[in-house]
Amino acid sequence: MPSNNSGGPWGGGGGNRGSGNDGGGGRRPPGGGGQPPIPELDEIVRRGQERLRVLMGGKGGGSTNGRGPSGAGGGGIGRGGVMLILIAAAGLWVFSSFYRVDTSEQSVELFLGKYYQTGQEGLNFAPWPVVTKEILSVTRENTEDIGVGAGLRAEQGLMLTGDENIVDIDFQVVWNISDAQRYLFNLAEPRDTIRAVSESVMREIVGRSLLSPILNRDRGVIAQELQNLIQATLDSYNSGVNIVRVNFDKADPPREVIDAFREVQAAEQTRDTLEKQADAYSNTVVAQARGESARLLQQAEGYRAQVVNQAQGEASRFVSVFEEYAKAPDVTRKRLYIETLERVLGNVDKVIIDEGAGGGQGVVPYLPLNELRKSGSQSDAATSEGAR
Amino acid sequence: MKKSALILPVLVVLGAIGLSSVYIVDERETALRLWFGEVTAEIKEPGLYFKVPVIHEIVKYDDRILPMDTEPSEVTPLDDRRLVVDAFARWRIADAKQFRRAVGASGIPGASARLDRILIAQLRQVLGSVTSDAVLSADRVGLMTRIRDGARSEATNLGVEIIDVRIKRADLPEQNLAATFDRMRAEREREAADEIARGNEAAQRVRAAADRTVVETVSEAQKQSDIIRGEADAQRNAIFAEAFGRDPEFFAFYRSLTAYEKSLQGGNTSLVISPDSEFFEYLKSDKVK
Repeated sequence: MPSNNSGGPWGGGGGNRGSGNDGGGGRRPPGGGGQPPIPELDEIVRRGQERLRVLMGGKGGGSTNGRGPSGAGGGGIGRGGVMLILIAAAGLWVFSSFYRVDTSEQSVELFLGKYYQTGQEGLNFAPWPVVTKEILSVTRENTEDIGVGAGLRAEQGLMLTGDENIVDIDFQVVWNISDAQRYLFNLAEPRDTIRAVSESVMREIVGRSLLSPILNRDRGVIAQELQNLIQATLDSYNSGVNIVRVNFDKADPPREVIDAFREVQAAEQTRDTLEKQADAYSNTVVAQARGESARLLQQAEGYRAQVVNQAQGEASRFVSVFEEYAKAPDVTRKRLYIETLERVLGNVDKVIIDEGAGGGQGVVPYLPLNELRKSGSQSDAATSEGAR
Repeated sequence: MKKSALILPVLVVLGAIGLSSVYIVDERETALRLWFGEVTAEIKEPGLYFKVPVIHEIVKYDDRILPMDTEPSEVTPLDDRRLVVDAFARWRIADAKQFRRAVGASGIPGASARLDRILIAQLRQVLGSVTSDAVLSADRVGLMTRIRDGARSEATNLGVEIIDVRIKRADLPEQNLAATFDRMRAEREREAADEIARGNEAAQRVRAAADRTVVETVSEAQKQSDIIRGEADAQRNAIFAEAFGRDPEFFAFYRSLTAYEKSLQGGNTSLVISPDSEFFEYLKSDKVK
């Protein structure tokens, strides 16, 4: 097609000088007829016309001098100039009609303003000016940061939660073009729309949630819901935009109150510490008590053994003595008595008073009991008992 | 020669006339063809069209979904708590003739300004009829739909179709922020105090339980130990009773002797005795009395 087009004028030009010029001139206006008036092209056309005029003027001068040879010579120069212009124009046309579409791109071709086809990757041909094209990068991921802006409070991502707390949220929406045709024809300001919809959806979700779930566990859930809602809203605009993912960067309490939130965390730690300390105390004293119990039981067992052994020993001793005694009661009894008193009286301070021999009754009151006491102060009971 | 000099300007003029008698309507546009200001045709289908040069005027409008954002404005819900609200709308020109008639030459910017007023009025009206809790809840979706429907019917007069209205911000006014922050802080402090109190409570519980366990364990052991001791004593008594029961009288005698020996020892005992006792039976004579 392009080679035919560019070849056509040449053939015509070669055949007849006059008609060649006519053909060249006649062809151009239809070429420009379909085109919207683009300044550059007008410029080119104008320049071309000026040049033609100059060439013709030269030729005209030549022709007045001598029609045949000089006219042929002037025609040669004119034809060369026209050819040059035509070559340049054709080259420009070819250059602007072919275009490449990258792997990541799609192109949409419009035939006289009407959608005509979607160009695929590789070399594409859109015969200018009848067909115009728009090339869009469809796979490239675009990122919109929301809530990161500095300055006004509203742009800092401060949002009001359902329980009237304020939370500072930053997130990113990553999107690409899922349908180049729709993307191109349906939304006037796609980026703006994506930003506005994302923020609106986030505020809607935050506005109906409580503060603490947002701060803690529900981030994944919220990100998912966010993505679904943004996608649904954009789909309702037929936007041809695909939300790839939503990155939930930050969901914090506002700067002004973050200290109080940290204090809560510290308090949680303190609580844990207190509980652990109490556990430690509990472990210590309970174990101690168990030890103490074991000690008491062992002591009791020891006591039992001791007492029983003692009793058994004593009993056994008595039994032995008794058995001997039973064989000769009188003698043994006497012997035991005398031997014992011998041992007892041998160690004791003694005063022997013979009451029967004379006036013993009268002696007792005069006994120097105080002196006796000095040597044996704690033996009152024994003394009086012995006295009787 | 002379002819060829004339041909070119003629061609140029013809070309210019040809150019100005066609126009292209893009896929993204709607065009109106005006005959001395009167709309004679509305062209929605993209393509190449013809017109009478100079006399026909072509006006093109963007046919895509257009943005419109309102400025933040304060609304007062039923409970008199003020909220700063801004919203955005997405709209498109549905009826280009009507649009042209309604906004005249001011075009899309003029329409935006009018839509802005419509939207703010709707915001105030709808949000003013509910409490602020409703705005801050799942009801927000319903409110947005109400605002959209209200704005939609008014916008029809402009030849505009409102595709969607969404509330963007619904925040407390700047002046209320400090109070809100104070409240949030107080809430956190309460929570922190609660945490610590609960910690103390739990600790005390644990300690008390431990103390109780200690007392229980030890007293149980004490009890067991006393039982054992009692059994031991009983056993001892049984042993003694068994042994001494053979001859109680001799036991008394024998035990007394043991007791004397134990209690009357050392140099701290003085005894005043009469020689009449049995021990001294032979002290005065060799005869038994």
